[in-house]
Amino acid sequence: MNSFLEYVNSDRRAVRYGTVILSLLAGAVIWELVGLSFNQAIMAPLIGNEDHPGTLPRLYRYLFDDEEYILSLIQSIQLFTTGFVLALVVAIPSGIILARMITLRIALETYILALYVTPMIALIPFILSILGFDFWPKVLVVYLFAFFPILYNTLEGARSVKPELLEVAKSFRSSEFAIWRDILVPYTLPYALTGIRQAAGRALVGMVAAEFFLSTSGLGEELITASRNFDMAGVLATILVITCLGVSFMRIAQAFEQKYAGWRGLDR
Amino acid sequence: MTTSTLTPPVTERKSAGQTLAKLLWGTPLRAKLFAGVLILLVWQVGVGLFAANFVAKPIGVIMAFPSVITNPLFLQASSSTLLAVLQGLAIALVAGTVVGVAMGRMKVFDRALNFYVSGLYTMPMIALLPLITIWFGYSSDARMATIIFAAFFSIVINARDGARAVPPEFLEVCKAYRAPARYVWFDITVFSSLPYLIAGVRLAAGRALVGAVIAEFFVSLNGVGMFVLSNARSFKHNEAVVGVFALVAFGLMFELIINWVMKRYFPWYRRETHSD
Repeated sequence: MNSFLEYVNSDRRAVRYGTVILSLLAGAVIWELVGLSFNQAIMAPLIGNEDHPGTLPRLYRYLFDDEEYILSLIQSIQLFTTGFVLALVVAIPSGIILARMITLRIALETYILALYVTPMIALIPFILSILGFDFWPKVLVVYLFAFFPILYNTLEGARSVKPELLEVAKSFRSSEFAIWRDILVPYTLPYALTGIRQAAGRALVGMVAAEFFLSTSGLGEELITASRNFDMAGVLATILVITCLGVSFMRIAQAFEQKYAGWRGLDR
Repeated sequence: MTTSTLTPPVTERKSAGQTLAKLLWGTPLRAKLFAGVLILLVWQVGVGLFAANFVAKPIGVIMAFPSVITNPLFLQASSSTLLAVLQGLAIALVAGTVVGVAMGRMKVFDRALNFYVSGLYTMPMIALLPLITIWFGYSSDARMATIIFAAFFSIVINARDGARAVPPEFLEVCKAYRAPARYVWFDITVFSSLPYLIAGVRLAAGRALVGAVIAEFFVSLNGVGMFVLSNARSFKHNEAVVGVFALVAFGLMFELIINWVMKRYFPWYRRETHSD
């Protein structure tokens, strides 16, 4: 028993990859069996047969043989990027400005924290009844989901700029532009990137929520339609697409973080 | 001569402005209060001038506050949401800690489950709602499932990181004294990963609350989320804003409870910066 435990926990390459492959295989087999043994309105298998449409064939059809679906996908990505880029463009400069104006920062900090912890999802009914069903209210939802994590983390970074650095810059009569370029931006960037990674996840939730609860469109609409038709293969395939979207947004944010925040080390 | 006659009035004017400034934002507290009043003022005037009549204004919210707080429907809704979130969190905490600690201590579990855990952690829980409603029906079970799903994976990930960060000296002492496995797991690993667990619970609490609200929106289930939605739909925005404030208050309450428990029962706990 003990030697078995030691073997499966060892660092041998065969064991390492074997465990991962076995677990993925087991997951796939369980999914397939569960899907085949339940009614097709409750669960869809991975590959499937005639009676039980599978998720992977559906995914393939969606991505390579369904123009409408691709349009939905593009619509969703458009919504996400518009809201996210707007949040980025506003939040990071505001965070750094707050770093420079200490009184303003102290005055607003509490309110920013309060908005950071507010579940933005609860604001969707207001946005719906005030702004209606357009494209821009949906952008506002994504924006709100993304804005505060970025602002809060940028602010956190700005707070931790070492005062000595600013003092040295001041005593050498450095220009405001040089202070931003050489101290504030490089110093706050890693924190901002942590915020951006957090915001990417939240904005994705915002995107789907906006597409569910405001005017239905994009992947959210595909999801709702499929679930209303009890088309489980469609539901699961769309969930996979959304998850892949989320993972790739996260990966992009993480790559930036590693590139520009590597010097910060592993302390956060 | 000219300078001596000119300077006194200048300094006097300056000091008058300075005293005003000092009065308004001289100390952090005053600055915060001043900013708060300013924000409320801008909100009140801005909405009054530019927005439709039904949009919430601070004075309206304050007027609506007592009637909402004493409204039995609202109290029932908030207790229903709170109870569901607490139950879901408790289940997710126990199950998540077990899975997370196992993953942190045994490489085989980590390798086998890492793909699923990180995949499901990044999966936006809202996308699963259609699936959850089909599986659990339009009932409070669907909300519970959403809460558990939202909370579980952040706890697993933090518990795993915590179990990995156990100082090796502790484990070596255990080994030297031939401590049985259950000591190593429950007396060393769980306690030493407590800071990480707390960070996980903090994160999970926020996600669980959001999950509960989304589920209530989607399933039309009685709760604070539904209270906000139905009031906003019938253009009673002032009442709905009180509901949003209640949600924020729940979030802050979790934070306070966690802090109190930590101070009371785990005074040795060192404060970690939050992680995501």
